[in-house]
Amino acid sequence: MNILLVLIPITVLLALGACIAFFWAVDHDQFDDLDTPKLLPLLDPPDDAKPEDPPA
Amino acid sequence: MNAACWHCGEALPTGEQFSATVSGQSHPVCCIGCRAAAEWIDQLGLADYYRLRSEPALRPAASPNDAASWQHAELDRHLVRELDGGKQEAIMLIDGVRCAACVWLIERALGVVPGVESVQVNAVARRARVTWESARCSLANIIEALQRAGYRALPLDARAFADSRRAESRSALKRLIVAGFGAMQAMMFASALYFGVFDANDAGTRDLFRWFGLMVSSPVVLYSAQPFFAGAMRALRARRLAMDVPVALAIAIIYGASIFESLRGGHEVYFDSVSMFVFFLLLGRHLEMRARHRAGDLTDALAKLTPAYADRVAADGSIERISASALAGGDRVRIASGAVVPADGILLGNPCRVDESMLSGESAAVTKRAQDPLVAGSVVLSGPADMQVQRVGADTVLAAIVALVSRAQSERPRLALSGERAAARFVARVLALASLTAIGWSVVDPSRAFAATLAVLVVSCPCAFALAVPAALTRSLALLARQGVLVVHADAIENLAMATHAVFDKTGTLSEPKMEIHHVDARFAKNDALALAAALARNSHHPVARAIAQAAAGVPAAQVGQIEEVAGSGVRGTFAAHDLRLGHAAFALPAHAPEPSLADAVVLADETGVIAEFHMSEQERSGARAAISALACLGVSVEIASGDVEARVVAMARKLGVDHHHARQTPADKLDRLNALRANAACVIAVGDGINDAPVLAGADVAVAMGNGSDLAQASSDIVLSATDLTALPRAIALARETMTVLRRNQRWALAYNLLAIPFAALGFVPPWLAALGMSLSSLVVVLNATRIGRHAPAATGSQPHEAMA
Repeated sequence: MNILLVLIPITVLLALGACIAFFWAVDHDQFDDLDTPKLLPLLDPPDDAKPEDPPA
Repeated sequence: MNAACWHCGEALPTGEQFSATVSGQSHPVCCIGCRAAAEWIDQLGLADYYRLRSEPALRPAASPNDAASWQHAELDRHLVRELDGGKQEAIMLIDGVRCAACVWLIERALGVVPGVESVQVNAVARRARVTWESARCSLANIIEALQRAGYRALPLDARAFADSRRAESRSALKRLIVAGFGAMQAMMFASALYFGVFDANDAGTRDLFRWFGLMVSSPVVLYSAQPFFAGAMRALRARRLAMDVPVALAIAIIYGASIFESLRGGHEVYFDSVSMFVFFLLLGRHLEMRARHRAGDLTDALAKLTPAYADRVAADGSIERISASALAGGDRVRIASGAVVPADGILLGNPCRVDESMLSGESAAVTKRAQDPLVAGSVVLSGPADMQVQRVGADTVLAAIVALVSRAQSERPRLALSGERAAARFVARVLALASLTAIGWSVVDPSRAFAATLAVLVVSCPCAFALAVPAALTRSLALLARQGVLVVHADAIENLAMATHAVFDKTGTLSEPKMEIHHVDARFAKNDALALAAALARNSHHPVARAIAQAAAGVPAAQVGQIEEVAGSGVRGTFAAHDLRLGHAAFALPAHAPEPSLADAVVLADETGVIAEFHMSEQERSGARAAISALACLGVSVEIASGDVEARVVAMARKLGVDHHHARQTPADKLDRLNALRANAACVIAVGDGINDAPVLAGADVAVAMGNGSDLAQASSDIVLSATDLTALPRAIALARETMTVLRRNQRWALAYNLLAIPFAALGFVPPWLAALGMSLSSLVVVLNATRIGRHAPAATGSQPHEAMA
């Protein structure tokens, strides 16, 4: 069972990393509008080149 | 009857047809504004908007020409933020954002404006944040581009950059995700303990798992659960027992006791229960917060009502355009026709007509003479008018109304009395049971007293409150939303079910404006006169013009040429070599002396004299009568409280069969009336649409705003009726009552489960796996019970049973 002493801290570290990544994303406007971005990719015409499209 | 406009979805006018060519196909549209917007969108290659949108667009203004008014360095200082590298940034409130396709369209349409760097549109907050290079672009360019696509934009001043709502939703999301991660991890450690992986002689590993459980649940309790502790503190300081009190108590006791148990190596720890509990509660609150943010914001509503800039008349008579926030008492400002008064003050010089309906609820325009007071937010109909500023900003009448709204909102007991009582009873019961257990075990076997008491607290709290109420509420919120009833505050359901009185505003809520034709000159038939007026009025957005166009539906159209709208006065055009004028008497009959009988009328005239007079009257809104009789069936007594004159209120009350009515009510009068009703233990629904209704809405037990009403009314309401049909209200009440029945049944069920489980837990007969199974099963029953809401169309709705069954 000693392997638990390695695995459990790893899961805790992973969870901590996920929380930090999520906090970063929240602070960088990623969650301010949850309704529109999901539709935006569908709206681009597939064969139309849009070189100057700003990244969302 | 008529087909709808391709762009905005409104009924097409009879007579002259407009069409827009989009993607090579011709589509009918209702006006020049819609045609311009649709064809411009097509030119940009953005016609996909029409395929992807889920709501019709806002009808654009016919002549978007006020963009240039934003081109002033003085305004830029207040509205634009300078960034590094010659860039500027502004935040705009955008009217007409209705669905995701609008966001797509705005981002693309602004993206092609030269110099624009980045565009971020938030559909929920109806805001856009735009960054541009100051050398190649300006605020006015951007506003113009938005107007061409059919959106009205209002730049917000620098305070908008610190957005309190965004801060609120961000911190709620962070708390939720920390609770989610913590709960998952705590559950993982706890399941190892539950399934007895470690036998009794492996106490060291068991304790290790407990400490890990403590580590992952500590952020949940200490960080995520903060809102519950803060809410409980607020309630206790106000000497009330709110829902937050038992929740905070349960969290604190379970967490503290689990730490204590870990320290002394006791039987059970409950780190998983406490983190799951916090997570589920936060999830419910998060959903409610999102609904609240969707309904709009008080400060945004106020920003839309007052103009951002004013024209100040300098001492030498020249006019300079300044930001409205830079106005001071004693300044002289000029207000153009159709413009909004920027501050409170007194009129100087010529008399003018002012529309104060948004503040007083009075449907007719008021004539003001020199030295009469003007209030901010009212619209000058016949200008230009000069005004001496007296009060600005927070001292204006309009700001006072908004202050009244926020005070009434904060004073309202958000959770209904019955909810508070239920919470108080529940806390009392659980505490009594827990102390009984503690006392009992102290007598019998003091070493087991603590574990048993803790078991009682754990078994009882989460199940009864965490799921019984939210499950039923969530179900009924979804059902109501499908019927066009948007519930902003979930606890409104409870008040709705208990409502005994409904107070309606008249103008705009029970009634719709209607045009009646009076006194047609002998030279014309009635329909011909109507057709001429409608041909003139069709392209105007003035409410009177639209009422005339509506009255003329079905009458063959007349061909009127050279139509020209004279702002604030009326419309003119030529018909068979005659100069036709439609507007108020002074405009329509320039050569004649003003007649007092024509003061309130809209006059259609040519050079020789009056052709027809039109008078505004009111008709009842569709479904108003059915809604009021359905409310009576439900045992809700109906009243009308209106700011309008006695005669019109009485007439409407008679038509609808309402016995109680009050005319000439100021917002404060209405609030007094409401408080008098509530003092007699009535639970009052207030229904309104105007700015003058906002304080009443905020002070009522349940505030219902009409979906086409003012932003301020919607921001201060609990429920927004997006369906224009008033019968949605009695249907919502019936559903709310059913919800409360199921909710009470759920609570009773949870209580019965607790009563059954607690004695066994208290006696130490419940092994952990059985407790877990029992908890899950009881939760499942509660959720399944909630899904039964709305299955059977309640008989009480009466009016449209087949619709409810569909």
